Amino acid sequence: MSKSSFLGADTIALHSGYQPESDHGSRAVPIYQTTSYVFDSVDEASALFNVEQGGHIYSRITNPTVAVLEQRLAALEGGAGAICTASGMSALFVTFFSLCSAGDHIVSAAQIYGSTVTLLKHTLKRFNIDCTFVDINDQDALAGAIQDNTKLIFCESIGNPGLAVSNLPAIADTAHQQGIPVVVDATFATPYLNNPIQHGADVVVHSVTKWIGGHGVAVGGVVIDGGNFDWLKSGRFPTLTQPYEPFHGMNFWEEFGPAALAMRIRCESMRDIGAAMTPHNAFLLLQGLETLNLRMQQHVTNAQAMVAWLQQQDAVAWVNHPDINADAHTKTLFPKGAGSMLTFGVKGGRDAGAAFINALQLSSNLANVGDSRTLVLHPGSTTHSRLSETDLVAAGISADLIRVSVGIETVKDIQADFGLGLRAAAKVAMAQLAQTEA
Amino acid sequence: MYITVDNQNTFVATGGKPFNPNLPTVVLLHGSGTDHRGWALQARWFAFHGYSVFAPDMPAHSLSAGEALTSIEAMGAWLVRALDAAKVSNVHLIGHSQGFLVALEAAVLLSKRLLSVTAMATASAIPVNPALIETAQKDPALAAQMMLQWGFGNQHQYGASAVPGMQPIGIGQRIMANNPLAIDLAACNAYTAGSKRAQQLASEGCASCVILAAQDRMTPKKEGFKLAQDLGTHAQVIADTGHMLPMEAPKQSLSIMKTFIQTLEK
Ligand SMILES: Cc1ncc(COP(=O)(O)O)c(C=O)c1O
Repeated sequence: MSKSSFLGADTIALHSGYQPESDHGSRAVPIYQTTSYVFDSVDEASALFNVEQGGHIYSRITNPTVAVLEQRLAALEGGAGAICTASGMSALFVTFFSLCSAGDHIVSAAQIYGSTVTLLKHTLKRFNIDCTFVDINDQDALAGAIQDNTKLIFCESIGNPGLAVSNLPAIADTAHQQGIPVVVDATFATPYLNNPIQHGADVVVHSVTKWIGGHGVAVGGVVIDGGNFDWLKSGRFPTLTQPYEPFHGMNFWEEFGPAALAMRIRCESMRDIGAAMTPHNAFLLLQGLETLNLRMQQHVTNAQAMVAWLQQQDAVAWVNHPDINADAHTKTLFPKGAGSMLTFGVKGGRDAGAAFINALQLSSNLANVGDSRTLVLHPGSTTHSRLSETDLVAAGISADLIRVSVGIETVKDIQADFGLGLRAAAKVAMAQLAQTEA
Repeated sequence: MYITVDNQNTFVATGGKPFNPNLPTVVLLHGSGTDHRGWALQARWFAFHGYSVFAPDMPAHSLSAGEALTSIEAMGAWLVRALDAAKVSNVHLIGHSQGFLVALEAAVLLSKRLLSVTAMATASAIPVNPALIETAQKDPALAAQMMLQWGFGNQHQYGASAVPGMQPIGIGQRIMANNPLAIDLAACNAYTAGSKRAQQLASEGCASCVILAAQDRMTPKKEGFKLAQDLGTHAQVIADTGHMLPMEAPKQSLSIMKTFIQTLEK
């Protein structure tokens, strides 16, 4: 097993990447709210530009506060290096962009976050990068979808919205047999519940916006270079193994080896695309990260309690959480529980679902996940309201589906709130029944 | 660049510039189980400031093919063949840990072509615990972990990095776990000629520089001081760093290396 730190995860979350600086001894990570950094001399400036010296030049490329978050997340996930970005979506974009060029191909899990679907299916397609979507746990389908120009396999460790757990060791086996890396969006899992690199993933992406921040006040993303993939042996990655003229003719594999991808992203994507995380957001996200492990325990405990409670409610038609009738690989990959997202259906379909949401007082009806507060969304009346019932089913979303990101409130208060919603939903269902009978 | 040594494809990092054998050449030698990447920052400075850089991956390490060499003497002789293959004339030898033992062996063979030697976080003998060698044979990844836990100083144990965003422990672990660590460690352990070689160089008037790390737990600095004495020089100690000095303190170590070499060139 590859490690990047010999500290325990709780200690890493609090300390890694920063020790009190010598000028003032600031215990908290300072916010380096600056765009740029004064060079000691012309010699130092040229050394920095020519990568003869590590350090900061301009905050679009690197920033000391952001670097703490990067190093801390790399240590937590057991990677070789990390690059923080303005959002989870930009983290995904720079990863795909660094590994693929026009004419290349990606194989992706079918059940993934909606904006990632549009990125893979439409946006990258405009640049002639194709994507085939497969059932990621069907290894024959996965192997069959790989082409000569395939550059990566993509999945979410817990898929959105179906909450299927990707069988990472099996996926990595299939991919590695053909010299292809596996990129995993581990947002729903967080580094507390599962570290994909330990299970064969080569690159890990998080929307740091979600549980890692937890407070719901800052958007951010990270790409973690797992450092185990041999880009040269694969033979598919000239962007990493041949000289890159626009950056000193650098050969990233020769120069940085296990951190080749992270450095390519730094030197190309941060320079040319510039989706940089701001120092202030890095600071806010660090505040969240420091207590991630404690919060996740409560998230998971609450989610499990909510699953058990919902299963007993008359107004509930069905409940879905990866720990219900868990596959063998789910148990192995998520011994502490498979996250705090759940979905359920209320009897009475789309209208009853809408009534449930409208009756809630504590839980927030919004389009986000991973806040410390409980969040709910009824895709049938919001994000997917324009879809017909048939199209909803094709998207894996039934009309009655309610998505819950279970928060860390006192669980009986969440249950009381859901009780209000279920009573409202039941009224709609009863009225429907009365109408059918009449 | 790749060159052929003993019929084997051999990788030599040149600091980002085409290799010119006619310039004074700074030879950077890696330690047990590691590779040229530990010198990434120092190599570029020398390459862009009037020197050629020759930072090889030893046989069977990282990008170099071939069989791992089993003794420091064989490594020293190999290095001279590698320098000959690249038609290198005058060299400054710089070695980290095991790399300096290799430098000592090569130095004696290079005679007039040798301009100076620089020792980094090392000693004239590097005894290795037999249990560690055994672990490296059975489970290289675990042995690499043990060495890095022992090898990096406090700042790096807490996730510091000279290059923003990177995890030197994570990088080192992956490189070491895939290289012939056990063979290197056994070679270090068996090597006893270091002190004699160092004294010989001093008696021949070879210029030398010794850079030590205050928190070095692999080659403790008191051993480094003895080496400095053998070489007839004074050691300079860098604060807040461990044995992985070239990676932990690239700026400070480069500053000493370049001052030493530039002064000699004048
Ligand atoms: C699994 C997953 N990946 C990526 C993203 C995108 O992250 P961001 O909103 O930070 O760009 C989200 C956002 O909801 C997500 O749920």
